[in-house]
Amino acid sequence: MNKNWLLFKVYFLAGAFTFSGGLAMLPVIERDLVDKYKLISKEDLYEYSTLSNTFPGVIAVNSACFVGKKVNGVSGMLIAAFGAIFPAFALMLLATVLYQLIPQEGVFLAVLKTVRAASAAFLLSAAFSLAKYNLRDLPSLLIAGACLIFTIFNLVDAPKLIIAAGIIGVWLTYSAKNKNNQKGATK
Amino acid sequence: MIKLILAFLKIGFLGFGGGYAMLSLIFQESKTFGLTAMQFADLTALDGIIPGPIAINSATYVGQLYAGLPGAIVATLVVCVPSLLFIPLYMHFEEKIKNNQLFSGILRGIKPASVGLILAIGLTLLLSTVLGMPDILHWASFHVDYVNLFVLGLVLFLDYKYHVNPVILILLAGVIGGVAFYL
Repeated sequence: MNKNWLLFKVYFLAGAFTFSGGLAMLPVIERDLVDKYKLISKEDLYEYSTLSNTFPGVIAVNSACFVGKKVNGVSGMLIAAFGAIFPAFALMLLATVLYQLIPQEGVFLAVLKTVRAASAAFLLSAAFSLAKYNLRDLPSLLIAGACLIFTIFNLVDAPKLIIAAGIIGVWLTYSAKNKNNQKGATK
Repeated sequence: MIKLILAFLKIGFLGFGGGYAMLSLIFQESKTFGLTAMQFADLTALDGIIPGPIAINSATYVGQLYAGLPGAIVATLVVCVPSLLFIPLYMHFEEKIKNNQLFSGILRGIKPASVGLILAIGLTLLLSTVLGMPDILHWASFHVDYVNLFVLGLVLFLDYKYHVNPVILILLAGVIGGVAFYL
């Protein structure tokens, strides 16, 4: 069967049935592209998935681009990326149009209000979960604390904070590397 | 429309580290498109119900609310541009930039930053949904909404501790809101 059609089918189905994006669709991709159609090796798939996390952009789309490009060049890349985003786009569009029809009054507003409180809970829960894995040393804690305070008091906007944090991250990484090199040299 | 394109390009290029890291940028940009914090909270709920990456769902939602169907299509496509640009470039020069030092360094700083940013948005929504305050400096409108306080506590507990499916949690929250309205 045509490689592009297979890429589209696999990514479309993975996109339609996995919530929250990221690499949640990886097991489905592995089963179909590696085991069933043998279009890519397991090693390549996992290497690309790890790399997807470190690139800017949407992680699921990054991963689809890597795999699609590897399997069938630029056309494979575009098709896989399209398959990965189309279900999310179509379903979200439908949901948003329906949402716009909901009257913001009476019992509808009451339901929306508690759903919004649930949204606040989801974000807090996500922050706590991310904190467990990402705040393991003092510089990380300081960066997170500064971003929290600057944002909640509306002092600095998010893009500037993210750029600053990225620069600090690069500086931390390179200075740690230099330190290691110096240690190595004195030994 | 150009404003929408620029905003989602910015979100894409600065969006290191996945959906939740991008959400803080989307929150910021959506304010410039006239979306309220409450509409952003509704977006977070829809993200939980609809399959797919958070950034894609969010782009479709913000684009649709701001400029209808063309807005939804443009925002969704534009947020994918960085992937379509960087990945072929990287694969072309793979040998030369094998260990990708720069991006992992950037990520080293952005990951903790996104924790702080998400926490700030979560707290902002907590202030407005539970305490009636649009932001932390507006104490004048302070009043506790006990139904929302209960829902927030319950959902936080079930999500963080037991990872209950978000679709179920949103339905649960909605049912509590509906029942409380008629009580």
